[in-house]
Amino acid sequence: MVSLIEEMPDTLAQHQPEPVQQIAESVGPASEVAPMIDIANVDFVYGSHQVLHNVTLPVPARAVTAFIGPSGCGKTTLLRCINRMNDLIDNARISGGSIHLDGVDINASNVDVVDLRRRVGMVFQKSNPFPKSIYDNISYGLRLAGITKRARVDEAVEKSLRAAALWDEVKDRLDANAFGLSGGQQQRLCIARALAVEPEVILMDEPCSALDPIATAKVEELIHQLKADYTIVIVTHNMQQAGRCSDHTAFFYLGRLIEFGPTGLIFSNPRERKTEDYITGRFG
Amino acid sequence: MIAQRHILGTFDEALSSLRNNVLMMAGLTERTFDRAIKGLLERDDDLCANAIADDEEIDQLEKLVDKEGVDLLLRFQPVASDLRRVVAAMKLSPNIERVGDQATTVARRARKLNRHPALTETELIEPLYALGMSMFKDAIDAYVKEDVPLAMAIIPRDEELDEMNATVQRQLIERMAQDPDQLRGYLNLIFIARCMERVGDHATNIAEDAVYAAAAEDIRHQPFAETS
Repeated sequence: MVSLIEEMPDTLAQHQPEPVQQIAESVGPASEVAPMIDIANVDFVYGSHQVLHNVTLPVPARAVTAFIGPSGCGKTTLLRCINRMNDLIDNARISGGSIHLDGVDINASNVDVVDLRRRVGMVFQKSNPFPKSIYDNISYGLRLAGITKRARVDEAVEKSLRAAALWDEVKDRLDANAFGLSGGQQQRLCIARALAVEPEVILMDEPCSALDPIATAKVEELIHQLKADYTIVIVTHNMQQAGRCSDHTAFFYLGRLIEFGPTGLIFSNPRERKTEDYITGRFG
Repeated sequence: MIAQRHILGTFDEALSSLRNNVLMMAGLTERTFDRAIKGLLERDDDLCANAIADDEEIDQLEKLVDKEGVDLLLRFQPVASDLRRVVAAMKLSPNIERVGDQATTVARRARKLNRHPALTETELIEPLYALGMSMFKDAIDAYVKEDVPLAMAIIPRDEELDEMNATVQRQLIERMAQDPDQLRGYLNLIFIARCMERVGDHATNIAEDAVYAAAAEDIRHQPFAETS
C-alpha cells in the first residue's frame, strides 16, 4: 500500500491533541444566577473513612443537574447530604464545608429536618410505595403536614398525580393498592408522593435503574416537564440518560468533584482527562 | 489520540476498523491520482485505465465507512472524542471519494489528450498536482495524528492553489487564442487544472474536519484571519 498508510501506526500511538482553546472552566459555576443549592467545600466521613473531599458545587435552580461517576465515587452520599438523609446513619457526618438551600445552612442547629425533607423530596432507585391505596400514598405526606380537609387533599392528590403523568392511568382506581401498579407506575407514584408536599428540590437516586425502556422514557419526560417548577438533582449510571435529561453534569471520582459544567459540553468536549476516560468507557 | 483502550474491546475494534477504512480510502485515492497524473505526463493509457478502474474500490469503501459509522453510532452511542472521530470519519469519506472522482476525470481527459500530439503546456499541471496532493496528504495526516496546527496550515495553502490555478487557466486561454487547432487539448488541460483546484478544496474540508475531531472546534466558514 502507499506511503500514507504505512506511516500511520507510529504517529497514532504518540500524539496528544492540543485543544484550540479552552472552552469552559472545569469546575465552576454553571450559571451567573445564585444557585438553589450551594455546596461549598464539603468533606464527608463514615467514621474515620472520608468519602467526600472538598466538594464545591453550585446547583442551579429550576434545572436538572446530574451526578455521574463510578460506584463508590460519593455521588449518592452527596445527594443524601442535600436532605440530610445521612443523619440516619451512625458515624456518618459532614466533617467540613457547608450546604446552603436557598441561602440557609441546612445543617444549622435550628433547621427542622422534617421541614427540610419536605422542601427537598427524594425518589429512590427502587420504587417504595407504602402498602396502602394509591390515594393514601399521595395524601400521607399532606396529613403529616396537618392538611386533613378532604377537598384540599383531593385537589392535591389529583394535582400531584397529573404532574407525575400518572393521573390518566389511575384516576379510576385511586382506592386500589399501590402494589398493583407496574414498576414504572410505582416509580411515578413515588414522584407524585414527593410532589404532593410541594417541595422545591427533588433528589433522584437512579430513578430508572429498575425500569424498562418505556417506563424510563416516561420518567425522563416527566423530569423534563418538572424542571420548569423544581430544582432536580439526579444520580445516574446511565450516561445516555444524563445526556438526555440534564442541563448540568457533575463528574465525581474517588470522592472528588472532577468536572462540572453544561451537559452538552461535558459529553462533547470534557476538559478533564478523567471525565473523558469515564464517559467514553476507557476507565481502568 | 487513543492513548488508552476502551473497556469494551469491540468498541475499539469498530473504531479501529472505521479509521483504517478511511485511511485505506485515502491511500487508494493517492495511488489513483498518482496513476492518473503519470498517465497524463507519460502519455500512458494503461495507467489511465488503472486509475479509472480504482475508483470503484474507493466508492465501495465510502459506502463501507458510512455503514460502519452508522453501526458504531447505533451500537455504542459514542460521546466526546469518540463521537467526534466517528462524525469526522463519516464527513471525511465523501471528500476523499470526490478526490478519487477528480482522479478519474484527470485520467479520462488524459486519455483524450494522449490521442493527439503532446502539448508542452501539460507541464503546467505538475506544480498544481504537487501542491494539491501535498495538501490532501497533509490533511489526512492531520486527521490521523489529530494535529491541529498541521490542519490549520492547509487552509492558507488553498488560496495559493487557487491563484496558481487562475494563472494556469489564463495561460491556457491565451494559448487557445494563439493556436485554435489545439483548442480541444487546451480545454482538456483547463479541466484537469480545475480538478487540481478541487482537490485543494476537498483537502481543506478534510483539514477542517480533522480540527473538529481533534479539538471540537468548528473552523468552517470563517474569515482567513480567524483561522490562521
